[in-house]
Amino acid sequence: MTDYWLSKMFFDLQSPAAAAEFRADRDKVLSRYPIADEVRKRVLASDVAYLARRTNPYLLRYFFFAVGMKDEEFIRKLRDG
Amino acid sequence: MASLVGAFAASHGPLLIREWEALPADQKQRLKSGFEELGRRIAAARSDVLVVVSPDHWSNFFLDNVPAVCIGVGESNDGPPEPWMKGFPHRELPGHPAFALHLVREAMTEGFEPSVSHRLKLDHGVCIPLWRMGLERLPRIVPMIVNSIEPPLPTLTRCLAWGKQLARAIASFPENLNVSILATGGLSHSIGEPTMGAIYEDFDRETLRLFGRAESELVDYLERKLPSSGNGSEEVRNWLVAHGAAGGRGFELVDYLPVPKVIVGCGFAAWRVPA
Repeated sequence: MTDYWLSKMFFDLQSPAAAAEFRADRDKVLSRYPIADEVRKRVLASDVAYLARRTNPYLLRYFFFAVGMKDEEFIRKLRDG
Repeated sequence: MASLVGAFAASHGPLLIREWEALPADQKQRLKSGFEELGRRIAAARSDVLVVVSPDHWSNFFLDNVPAVCIGVGESNDGPPEPWMKGFPHRELPGHPAFALHLVREAMTEGFEPSVSHRLKLDHGVCIPLWRMGLERLPRIVPMIVNSIEPPLPTLTRCLAWGKQLARAIASFPENLNVSILATGGLSHSIGEPTMGAIYEDFDRETLRLFGRAESELVDYLERKLPSSGNGSEEVRNWLVAHGAAGGRGFELVDYLPVPKVIVGCGFAAWRVPA
C-alpha cells in the first residue's frame, strides 16, 4: 500500500536544501506532512524495511542516501526486515 | 524526409558517476570504450536528433501524475537535477519542437496517447550515457520517457509497438533529418528492495541473446523472468522501443559486463537499422 504523504516527503527531500533541513531538524520537516504517527516514528527510527512496504523503492533509496545512510547499511536493514 | 540512421542502447546508473574513480581499471576501461563506441557511431551517423528513451527517476513526475509515456516537445530541456550530476557539461539541452510534435501527432493518429511536456528535467538516465559518450557536438535531444519505475508499467508488447510506431513517425517527417534512437537503462539491477546489489547475469545474457530471436520468444522470456530479476531490469522496456523501431533485426552487442561496484549489468548495443 503506497503512503502518499510519506512518498511526497521523500520526493521533496531530493532537493539538497530540503535534505539539509531534514538532517538539521527532522521533526520540523516531518510536521509539514500529514504522516501517520506510527509511520513518523519509523522514519525517525530509520526503519528501512517498514518504510519499504509503503513507498516506491527508488524513493526509499533516494531518501536514505539523502540523509547519509551508506548503501551497505541500507541493504542490511532491507534484508533484515 | 527524415531517416532513422541508428538505434542504440546503453546502461545508466548513478554509481557510474559516483563510483567511477573507484572502479577496477579493466572494468572502467570497458565501460569507457562501450560508451565511447556508441558516441562514435552516433556522430558517424551524422545524427541531427537523438530520441533518448529513458525512465524518469522521480525528477519530473510524482504520484499525482505518472505518465506511461511522455514525449518532450520543448525548445530546450533542463540538465540533470541530481546534485552529484553537477559536472555534466550541459545545463540546458536543445530539443526539436517541430519534430517532437510530429511524433506526438503521428502517435495519436495511430491510437497511442503520449503525455507531452514542454520542459523536462533530463535526469541521470538520459545524461549519464550522453556524458560518458563524449560527444563533441550534442544532437538535438527529444526525450521519450517510458515509465519503468512506478507500477503499473506499460506492457512489453506495447513498448515494442511504440518502437514500430516511432519508426513510422520518423519516416513521415517531411524535413531532411538524421534521427538516432538511444535507449538507456537496464540490464539487470535491483534498487531499494531486499535484493539490492544483485546482478542477474544469466538473465542478462539470455535477454541479449533473445534480442536476436523472434519477438514472441523475447517477450515470453521477459514476462516470465522480469519479476525475479530486480526492479531495475524493467528498464529493458526502453531497449524494446529501440528494438521495435529498428525493425526487430537484432543488434550488435558492443559489450556486456556485470559491474558489482555500480550494481548494474551494463550493456551496450547497436541495432541493425534498415538502410
